[in-house]
Amino acid sequence: MTSTVVIAPLLVALGTAILALLTRRVPRLQRALSVAGAGAYVVGVAVLVRAVRLDPDGRLVYRVSNWDGPFGIVLIADPLSTLMLALAAVVSLVAAVYSVRFVGREGQRLSYHALYHLMVVGVTGALLTGDVFNLFVWFEVMLMSSYVLVAFASDSDATRAALQYAVLNLLGSAVMLLAIGGLYATTGTLNMADMARRLADPTAFGIDPAPVLGLSALLLVVFLLKAGVMPFQFWVPDAYRAAPAPVTAVLAGVVKKVGVYAVVRLYFTVFAAAPLTVSLPGISGGPELGFLAFFGPVLFLMATASAILGGLGAIDQPDMEGLLAYSSIAQIGFIMLPLAVAATAAAPAVRTVGIAAALVYSVNHGLAKSLLFLAVGAAEDAIGSTRLSDLGGLTEVAPVLSGAFLIGALSLVGIPPLTGFFAKLLVFDTAVRAGAPLALAVALAGAILTIAYVTRAWNNAFWGSPGSRVHAAATAARTGRDDGPAVADGGHADAADDAHGTAGDDLATVASIADPVLVGCTLSLAVLLVALGIGFDPLYAAATDAAAAALDTEAYVRAVDPAIAGDAIADGGGTGGDQDVAEQLRALRGDGR
Amino acid sequence: MSEDREPTVIVKTVTRTVVPLIALTAIALLIKGHNLPGGGFIAGVLTTTAFALLYVIYGLDTVRRDLVTNAGGVGLLSGPTQSYTRAFAGGLALAFGSGVAAMLFDVPFLTQAVVFVDGIPLYGELEFASALAFDLGVYFVVVGSLLTIIAVVGKE
Repeated sequence: MTSTVVIAPLLVALGTAILALLTRRVPRLQRALSVAGAGAYVVGVAVLVRAVRLDPDGRLVYRVSNWDGPFGIVLIADPLSTLMLALAAVVSLVAAVYSVRFVGREGQRLSYHALYHLMVVGVTGALLTGDVFNLFVWFEVMLMSSYVLVAFASDSDATRAALQYAVLNLLGSAVMLLAIGGLYATTGTLNMADMARRLADPTAFGIDPAPVLGLSALLLVVFLLKAGVMPFQFWVPDAYRAAPAPVTAVLAGVVKKVGVYAVVRLYFTVFAAAPLTVSLPGISGGPELGFLAFFGPVLFLMATASAILGGLGAIDQPDMEGLLAYSSIAQIGFIMLPLAVAATAAAPAVRTVGIAAALVYSVNHGLAKSLLFLAVGAAEDAIGSTRLSDLGGLTEVAPVLSGAFLIGALSLVGIPPLTGFFAKLLVFDTAVRAGAPLALAVALAGAILTIAYVTRAWNNAFWGSPGSRVHAAATAARTGRDDGPAVADGGHADAADDAHGTAGDDLATVASIADPVLVGCTLSLAVLLVALGIGFDPLYAAATDAAAAALDTEAYVRAVDPAIAGDAIADGGGTGGDQDVAEQLRALRGDGR
Repeated sequence: MSEDREPTVIVKTVTRTVVPLIALTAIALLIKGHNLPGGGFIAGVLTTTAFALLYVIYGLDTVRRDLVTNAGGVGLLSGPTQSYTRAFAGGLALAFGSGVAAMLFDVPFLTQAVVFVDGIPLYGELEFASALAFDLGVYFVVVGSLLTIIAVVGKE
């Protein structure tokens, strides 16, 4: 069965999580398994990406437990999900290697690695599933483990942040369940492809598409909460500050993007199929726009708020983690902006460019922001603080780390030849093509704000003369290097206070205060950002394919089930479901005998 | 349960009778679960209520000493929480393994099969469903995780 590759990443991640649980008492083996599992996950995703590319239809479908859609759960790998999976795989591998050094023995005893891989399981499932309820389940898997990981530091701040994060997301989950229940009651199906098919021809199935609009708006709230878009952003700074650096990297780089993916998948592939004329003041939505005529302006307002207010918030932050967290809010605005423009644009070409822009920006932000969080984590590991007033002069004591940070920061700003340049270019391109001067102005203002806060971070933390803590850490690192390894195995180099008295030694003899493995992880992401920027074509092609796949509802429905795409179920409506399940059950029992 | 207020004889006797009944019901639900109301989850919850009853009436230490430590294989482990976490991880592995096992027969993940054995004396027809392995995994996950929570929170 060739389509087994579809479920391979999911099984690899789940298997790794279970193995990490079983090897709790052998920390060394657990660390090795965790990294090997993350490596195997990358391989699994790579094989899947290749398989999807070679498939003539560009879509691979896997029927879990051999039950056909629309009743069974199907997993679908198409260019859109594989692009996001590839991002997830890269970030999660780097963060897994980083975790081995960063999370100490005590952290490992608390099942860090098992939780980490369970979070990856949730991400993978959410990206692959073709069933709305199953999407909810994977969101929960992802969130359950992230709750614990946010609370991981177990101090009062982390507990408060985790409580806030958990309560908000539980509220979100309740709303999501409500919306999904409503969608099931209205359309009579949970399968995304089947839902798209029914919405495309509501009269044939006896569906009233009007309630679906409200329900999908409710669902949108949940996805935007996960993505941290402006009115739902308040959990972001605290949670990102509290979580360990590699977890923050995955939360900002991958988990957020699952929210973006869900918006693209459900709104552009599924709900866009419904022929419903929505008229809002100032928006002339024809029937060809459907639901998206409503979601376009909504997304636009939220994207604008995120980009501007997030950027303003980032300028004023006292610490690096807070700055990067607000920057995440601002950058998610840049991802949502082309989606908003694409939603209101009727021309298919503009729509494709808009979604491609959002996807390229997601990849850029996923890599760059993970890099920045990892770099700040490495600096904190060495210095013991991320407050801008405590930092300064990092270029002198940690040159490689600073270089990596600079590349990530420049990619965020959008300097050629980095990936970020093309990402920003595509956002502007979308606005210009759609003839949306307002969107262009917002993007421009957001870009200027990005430059402002990135410059502030760089000037305060990396340039200038080293602050006293930096100085102390540098001295400690040098004396430490004389008599042994600077950082004990898995331990934190919190030696800043011990060696405060000897500050004043010659800094030039110190190569780097940061842990080499942590720096190496950061550097690998920087190299990737440069490489993807210089060789941008493959990424652009992948994003365009993904955008085309997201917009081709018909092919999506056909891939999931040739039968349901071909013949319309005669009895129609939401009432036929139970009967069909009963029939399938009878058939299954008959086979067994 | 504080030291000065011992549970009454009635409560202790009732518990002693009820706990095996709960355990039996749990096992019945577990075995029937794949195509009748029941299943690994509810069986696990029921089993945990039996344990919780014992904890409340006989106290944490008695249960640990008499049940967990002296009961054969589990006695090898250092504490009840350890064996509960092990049950949790083992259950997860079992459920996962039962799903992957299906892939060895070239059918998708989690595909289940069922075999009917006829003509068993007295009992008649017996049904062997592969879903039972998955249910058993779920059962251990539920029992392991709930008992960990009860043991840890109860100790506080």
